[in-house]
Amino acid sequence: MKKIRYYFALHVAKLAQFLMKLLGRNATFLPGKIAIKLSPDFLKHLTPPKTVIAVTGTNGKTTVSNLLSSILTQNGYSITNNSFGSNVQAGVISALIEDTTIFGKPKKDIAVLEVDERSSLLIYPDLKPDYLVCNNIMRDSLKRNAHTEFIQFIISKALPLSTKLVLNADDIISSSLKKDGQACVYFGISAEKPEGNIPQHIKDIVYCPECGAILESEYVRYNHIGRHFCTACQFQSEAPDYVITEIDREKDMFTILSKDGEEKYNLINDNIVNVYNFAAAIALLKELGLDHEQIAKGFSKTKIVKTRFEEIESGNLKITMLMAKGQNPIACARCYDYVAKVPGDNKCAILVVDDKDDNINNSESTCWLYDCDYSALADPSIKQVIFCGPRCKDHLLRALLAGVDESKISITEDCSESVNLLNTDICQHIYVLHELYRPEDARTVKNGLISLGKETHHGN
Amino acid sequence: MVIEILFDESCNLFGDGQNSAYLKATLPEAQFIYTKITDVPYFVEQDPDIIYIGSMSESVQRRVINKLMPYKERLFALVEKGTPILATGNAGEIFCKHIQYVTEELEIDGLGIFDINVKTDLFDRYNGKVLADFENFKLVGFRSQFSMLYGDNTDYAFTKVIRGIGINRDSKLEGLRRNNLICTHILGPILPLNPLFCEYFIALTGTKAEAAHKEAALSAYYQRIKEFEDPVVPC
Ligand SMILES: [Zn+2]
Repeated sequence: MKKIRYYFALHVAKLAQFLMKLLGRNATFLPGKIAIKLSPDFLKHLTPPKTVIAVTGTNGKTTVSNLLSSILTQNGYSITNNSFGSNVQAGVISALIEDTTIFGKPKKDIAVLEVDERSSLLIYPDLKPDYLVCNNIMRDSLKRNAHTEFIQFIISKALPLSTKLVLNADDIISSSLKKDGQACVYFGISAEKPEGNIPQHIKDIVYCPECGAILESEYVRYNHIGRHFCTACQFQSEAPDYVITEIDREKDMFTILSKDGEEKYNLINDNIVNVYNFAAAIALLKELGLDHEQIAKGFSKTKIVKTRFEEIESGNLKITMLMAKGQNPIACARCYDYVAKVPGDNKCAILVVDDKDDNINNSESTCWLYDCDYSALADPSIKQVIFCGPRCKDHLLRALLAGVDESKISITEDCSESVNLLNTDICQHIYVLHELYRPEDARTVKNGLISLGKETHHGN
Repeated sequence: MVIEILFDESCNLFGDGQNSAYLKATLPEAQFIYTKITDVPYFVEQDPDIIYIGSMSESVQRRVINKLMPYKERLFALVEKGTPILATGNAGEIFCKHIQYVTEELEIDGLGIFDINVKTDLFDRYNGKVLADFENFKLVGFRSQFSMLYGDNTDYAFTKVIRGIGINRDSKLEGLRRNNLICTHILGPILPLNPLFCEYFIALTGTKAEAAHKEAALSAYYQRIKEFEDPVVPC
């Protein structure tokens, strides 16, 4: 009976998907929703592709799953993925339905599914992924994700013991997803070890998971990402099976050491956050059985998706568009830090990070601004900081509290106004840090800057 | 002036950690003592002028209660003496009588300053805003919590909300107060978001101080009041 319901749901959902596509609509969520409505335990009956890979974690899951899909495709595997759709239960199911025949057979070899952490309980117990990649568990939207202990709890509760884990050894929180008897490999970075212990704005784990003593750190890269140990017991960060030992920023290459020895890959982006993403992807692909040549080929052909990182030159202006993810304090702080550390001293940061949905007929919660470290914006190489959007006054106060000089801050509620506030005499490299779900505002700023670049160029 | 920040290394969720930064910017001369969970609190032997504690995870909350239980009498004495103590988010729950953790199937006693019970359910998250009348100004803030409080706080509520909820979904009386111990479920940067409340809270020590970056803080504060007063904005 249940199986009949499953087939009925599958056929209705597939029909809906077909019709939606015919109408040119985005069919990456609703078909899954219909399927669950008609058959609440749809996922339990579905036959997934032979290998199912779930990618989760606070930051980097889209980049990792895109990278995995791209490299696997280049190596001749057929892939089911939800990279253009939603990463909650209905999105994952929609992607699987699309690649399931009307007889319930999977059409593809491998499923690479990006899974929202909070959807874990609705997905893993039935789908039982063969692999789970978790890049990090960090502070995220306080409304949706509460705190990291909660996220760790639900992922852990949802995952079957049969899932092989690919975890970040430099993140104790995701490392501790491994249960006794569970297969697991760890990845990490030993290159560019930070010197000393730079105090962190926030750390999501400070106590030893074994004995509760305050953890000591060999070094910390950012927040709680780094190597830790306990002086009261034997606890220490896991030893990585795949470790990036060298990042050559001149040659745009990095070296990873594993049981296969040292291997080199193209460094397709030099932000340390992305280097972790590369380590995660390589670890998983190696576990799947791909060799260096197969993976390296993918790395030479792949680029970070344009919406996340884009560089444009216009006249005298160099424009870098960076996705900064509002409501996500650590992702945002990493972007501020990146801008501060990039060589050059004529930088301007334009921030378009207010949440779109939360500001339409609403007043966005700005608590996250205070979890986000704004001190990088005080760096003397950043000559100007422009906050634009409905919460610009809140950003101003936050930046002042972080020690950013008032004289270099400008604010405007209107994003198109930001370009007029820019002082091109002192700033030629403009970093636009924008929220993913405000593409039109990001585009407004980008186009404004491109026009301004052309004007100033002609003016010279 | 001596300000003790309790367990800042972990009781700092949702931006709460920056309340001490705002106090520091407002009171640059004050001495700040950051007590770790493994330390003996400063208040045990000394008299701090202000104590602050922020939001924490549920497991840390249980540990904090364990930690403070031996100093319960001393804390009571400080409260009776009128020491300004501010507890934001779920920090105030440690002063309640009893906490039930539904998801973890655990029940523990709190410090018991208030005859109020707490129920915490990891699968029932409440998000909301608070607009409240307080003394001669307004209070604004945000809430995100797994817990609700039950009991009668009529005589010792922190504030009556104009919009939003009180100690639970059926209440309009927010928070708990005894003398200068203020427990509020408003979390995050309550002090920078409410520069007038920051000045009020500091004034409880007998010292007058102007809130840091007051012009910028007031400008954001008045914008927020206007938005929260708009009936279109959900609370
Ligand atoms: Zn230990």
